[in-house]
Amino acid sequence: MNGISVDINHLKKGEVSMGTSIMAVTFKDGVILGADSRTTTGSYIANRVTDKLTQIHDTIYCCRSGSAADTQAVADMVKYYMQMYASQLPIDEKPTTSVVANIFQEVCYNNKDNLTAGIICAGYDDKVGGSVYSIPIGGSIHKQDYAIAGSGSGFIYGWCNENYKPNMEKDECVQFIKTALSEAMKWDGSSGGVVRMVILDKNGVERLIYYPHEIKV
Amino acid sequence: MVTVRSESNLKNATMNHDPFAWGRPDDNVYGKYNQSIAQAKNNELDAFPKMHTQQPIITGTSVLGIKYKNGIIMAADNIGSYGSLLRFSNIERIIKVGSETVVGVSGDISDFQQLERILEELVISEENYDNQGENNLRAPHVHEYLTRVLYNRRNKMNPLWNSIIVGGFDNDKTPFLKYIDLLGVTYGSSTLATGFGSYLAIPLLRKLIPDDKDYSNIEEEDAKKVIQECMRVLFYRDARSGEKFTLVTVNDEGVKFEKDVEVTGQSWEFAKNLVGYGSKQL
Amino acid sequence: MSSIGTGYDLSNSVFSPDGRNFQVEYAMKAVENGGTSIGIKCKDGIVLACEKIINSKLLVPGKNKRIQTIDNHIGVVYSGLLPDGRHFVNRGRDEAQSFKSIYKNSIPVPYLMDRLGIYVQNYTCYNSVRPFGIVSIVGGIDENGPHLYMIEPSGSYWGYSGAATGKGRQTAKSELEKLDFENLTVAEAVKIAGKIINQAHEDNKDKDYELEISWCSYDTKGKHEFIPDDLLQEVLKLSQEDDDEDDEMES
Repeated sequence: MNGISVDINHLKKGEVSMGTSIMAVTFKDGVILGADSRTTTGSYIANRVTDKLTQIHDTIYCCRSGSAADTQAVADMVKYYMQMYASQLPIDEKPTTSVVANIFQEVCYNNKDNLTAGIICAGYDDKVGGSVYSIPIGGSIHKQDYAIAGSGSGFIYGWCNENYKPNMEKDECVQFIKTALSEAMKWDGSSGGVVRMVILDKNGVERLIYYPHEIKV
Repeated sequence: MVTVRSESNLKNATMNHDPFAWGRPDDNVYGKYNQSIAQAKNNELDAFPKMHTQQPIITGTSVLGIKYKNGIIMAADNIGSYGSLLRFSNIERIIKVGSETVVGVSGDISDFQQLERILEELVISEENYDNQGENNLRAPHVHEYLTRVLYNRRNKMNPLWNSIIVGGFDNDKTPFLKYIDLLGVTYGSSTLATGFGSYLAIPLLRKLIPDDKDYSNIEEEDAKKVIQECMRVLFYRDARSGEKFTLVTVNDEGVKFEKDVEVTGQSWEFAKNLVGYGSKQL
Repeated sequence: MSSIGTGYDLSNSVFSPDGRNFQVEYAMKAVENGGTSIGIKCKDGIVLACEKIINSKLLVPGKNKRIQTIDNHIGVVYSGLLPDGRHFVNRGRDEAQSFKSIYKNSIPVPYLMDRLGIYVQNYTCYNSVRPFGIVSIVGGIDENGPHLYMIEPSGSYWGYSGAATGKGRQTAKSELEKLDFENLTVAEAVKIAGKIINQAHEDNKDKDYELEISWCSYDTKGKHEFIPDDLLQEVLKLSQEDDDEDDEMES
């Protein structure tokens, strides 16, 4: 230990993390994102009403899991990138979800040694409709019909695989996410609180919230 | 007020003049600094932030390659594992580079995707810029290029965490098959495999082609049969493998991708007779 | 060029009192003497063509291509100082690659033009450099369909349905104006392009020329490439038939 190189190991040690249950699902008219609301430091719940669904552009959102600090920083970076990108587009055009997801990939891959970030990027654009991209830690990118992530997702792989249907109706899709997340939050101690959802389609953005008594399983 | 430092004051100086601790009190004033306060100790071993030599996260398992009479055959399954979780089942790990070369990649998928982008750039600059109808980019060039990329990254202590097989044709139009890994190590053979395949598949492949030059007697059909056999054994014994794979054939007719090929000829029925620890013969 | 000798034409970082940048205008002169280049935007893609003047009989026929590729889906042809064109194309390739390294998708044509416009304009601002001695016609297909642009030494660029530059531009432009771009296909346009280049060559008749034609359409899967050799031969034959007809009429 000397005066010049300062030890910063302890900064990462007690980090605020989102041991999370998040998902995004495409449906007939667009895409729906869902997340729990628990943020923990170790086993202490630092925030029980967190909003893990973060807006990147008008109808493009991401679900964040991993380190709260890292994912907030990455989301802020990508949001800034998209402002620069969108400002160069013709007035009647908006960025596509794939461009946003690929910037997430770029940032997560290039900084993989310093980041703990598992991100699902989902959005609606007029060119391709609803789409979902998964960017797990390591910084690979995977286009999917639906994606689940976070510590709680491990409990619902089987259920989602059995019950997902392509081109669901909106209500059906909301119910699918609600059930899946309720089950994940039930079994995962690092997930809990309320269920938040964001619906993205040609009409824009709609937010939903379900309180614990509404999602008892 | 101006204080003039006297000779005696200097002698009793209490500041530490070590450049690394400049401005701090000497140890003889308050004693040694307690490094354990706020966990401020510096363990050189886990010092970061610059911590390269990461670890693979999402991974793909074995790639197999074999030469035959008219070309080469390559196979890899479609699984992307996250630890023991078989998280993705739609990953194509064999890619076409240029018009007559294929590259099969095992190991970290994010690095594989980076390699895909690097190779796309290579193809654009070598095949599309000012190309006057020649086919410039061949398997030996792609292979040499990849060895340089992988070796440079390992020298930066930041390797691309992959094992790669390059297949296609050599400059003299004979079949070409070579291996590269994250250290920049490279070798060629008539039969190649990465990962688990190097334990389980190589013996089976070498049974068909015992000596390197013998590939020229092998029919496409026989090569495909032994690949299918290897994929079956790998599916039996590699816990990170999948039942569906992509089979690629490169010959004088071009590059042919067969997707969603299934592992066939599995045998499980004998399990019925295996009761107890298996020591007892029924 | 009434202001020659007044000193305002020596540097391109200085305006003349009547608000002109003479170096840029002189650059246009370099272009006006170059072989003719044209571009046609069709409903299903774009066609580029140029009249490659043969300066020496020792040059290998069919080599030394003038039409170049910036990215898979974007082609370019230019008239003027060829080395300037090579530099311009290299910059275009760098821009296309840098876009792809961030956004992972191929650069849309209007984006590329924005960036190239800024680059070319920069060469009109400093005393230490001269403007580009080329006018380039850039065409390609992206997710919004076909695009065709022409960019000048001043750095200004416009989108066109049909564009022509070089020595025979006037002839070429008047031919291009007759076309029905909305309903034209690239298959038809390559034949027209051959004819137009042949007609424009009248302005440069003392030298031989070689015809180069490339296209980028939905049929080429959005790739910019030279038209096949047999098609080029057919186009050449068609354009020369016109010559014969003209000759007959004259006689």
